[in-house]
Amino acid sequence: MNHLSAIVGHIGGTLLLLVRTLKFIGTLPRQWARFIEQCYLIGYTSLPIVTILSFFIGSVLALQSGYSMENFGAKQFIGTLVGLTMARELGPVMVAILIAGRVGSAITAELASMKVYQEIDALTTMNIPPERMLVLPRLAAITVMMPVLAIIANLCGWYGGALVCEYTHTISVDSEAYFTALKEYMKPHDVTDGLIKAEVFGFVIVLVCCYIGLNTRGGPREIGASVTKAVVSSLILILVLDYFVTKALLMS
Amino acid sequence: MNNTSQTIRVGLFFLLGLALAWITFESLNGGRLFKKQGYTLVAGFANLKGLKTGDEIRMAGVKVGAIEQTRLADHRVEALLAIEPNVKIPADAVASIEQSSLLGSNYLGITFGTPGGALLKDQDEIKTKVTADMSEVISQLGNLGAKLDQVVGEIGKSLGGGEGGGLFQRLDKLVTENGPKLTTTISNLQDVTAKIKNGEGTFGKLVNDTKLHDDLLASVGEIKQAAADARTFMGDAKGIVTDVKAGKGTLGLLLYDEPTASSLKVSLNNLKEVSAKLNSGQGTLGKLISDDSLYLSVQSTMKKADRMIDGLGDQGPITAVGVAAQSLF
Repeated sequence: MNHLSAIVGHIGGTLLLLVRTLKFIGTLPRQWARFIEQCYLIGYTSLPIVTILSFFIGSVLALQSGYSMENFGAKQFIGTLVGLTMARELGPVMVAILIAGRVGSAITAELASMKVYQEIDALTTMNIPPERMLVLPRLAAITVMMPVLAIIANLCGWYGGALVCEYTHTISVDSEAYFTALKEYMKPHDVTDGLIKAEVFGFVIVLVCCYIGLNTRGGPREIGASVTKAVVSSLILILVLDYFVTKALLMS
Repeated sequence: MNNTSQTIRVGLFFLLGLALAWITFESLNGGRLFKKQGYTLVAGFANLKGLKTGDEIRMAGVKVGAIEQTRLADHRVEALLAIEPNVKIPADAVASIEQSSLLGSNYLGITFGTPGGALLKDQDEIKTKVTADMSEVISQLGNLGAKLDQVVGEIGKSLGGGEGGGLFQRLDKLVTENGPKLTTTISNLQDVTAKIKNGEGTFGKLVNDTKLHDDLLASVGEIKQAAADARTFMGDAKGIVTDVKAGKGTLGLLLYDEPTASSLKVSLNNLKEVSAKLNSGQGTLGKLISDDSLYLSVQSTMKKADRMIDGLGDQGPITAVGVAAQSLF
């Protein structure tokens, strides 16, 4: 019972943090430099790992589906399968998991140490709300960067799949057939659905990580515990939200 | 890190993302995400068969648009068709729901219609046609299968079993019961054919001897000759009849010539006179007639002559047939 009320309390705290942050949205132009810095850290520096990861996810997807689809002669649909899977599911989810591990942990570690070493208290004393200076730029940055990362992940995954299809002799579907199949059954809303999902995941990751970082109590040991907690909660939220967001998008 | 270079990198990165997104959407569906192009048509159906928003519209197999919306109207379903702007659809084009694969994905097919006719405009209604979908075809196939099953079952029953034994059972019984008789018959047949083969007996000779065949051919030739002769004779008879009709010759004169007729009358009168004299027993002839003894002797003579003539008359045909028959057998 205590546990349940604690969870509900965390949800409420996260939402209150969001509301408090959104109140300062008008101050964003004045923190432009900070926003750009966060964009750089969240988006630009994540580019190599997102590219590599999604390329190989697309390749493996093509390889596995080529292997299993050959049994019932549906090799010409590999493009459709890889395209739809990357755009609708794996692209957004993989990028979100990467962001949770690479960016979410960094955010929590930074905010938790600031909290533990009482820098947050100093800011509050100087009448600088931490939501305005620390949370808002990060939220804005992830909102802008997440679709960019997701679309890069999609394209890298598609090209990875095409490459594997063309040069694996057991599959040997040429890339023209691959992309024809991909375009045949894909509609723009499949891609937009994926981008919306990525946006939701990124936003939730940063919000949760900020909340957990800001609510760290104790010493250096608690900083590590907070980071663990933030990453685990982010991953759980990604996969749970994935189901509900997908369902909502499919019904609309 | 230099602040300006950081800004430039973030800006470039964001622009790259935008460009990639734009390329993706553009290549996927001609950029229709951002603006709606073309015009809209309405198609009414009794059953939409799973046609849904976003499904393709194809004109003779070429994609010309997509389903924009489906909605229920009074007692029918309406589909709004978003047609690409450069596609012209004549007013008599017909739309029908087609299946693109057995997996069940549908598209809307539109026929060409009459070229040069009136074109459909925005919000016009297009004609529609009902097509059989896969489930109907399959259920009909199922019915057919059941009927086939029934028919095959009945055939099987009549052949194999049922009341009173089937055809096969009866045939089997027939063969088993008459087995010895059939064997004898077959061996007899073998004997007969063997004899024929060896040229034994009349039939064997008939089959194997060429002399008989030659004889037959000769007699047939003779029969032909006889028939030709008969034909010539018939031709001569016909010639005589025509001559008579034309008044030629004695008989012709007698039948068709007026003066002859009148002289005949005179002769008849004379004859009457003569016969009257004869009746009364005048002259030699009269005596001859009234005297019985002479009559009797004349009668016997006449009988003999009659018999002789009869014999002569029969002799002709009998000889002819006889010759023919002798040459035949």
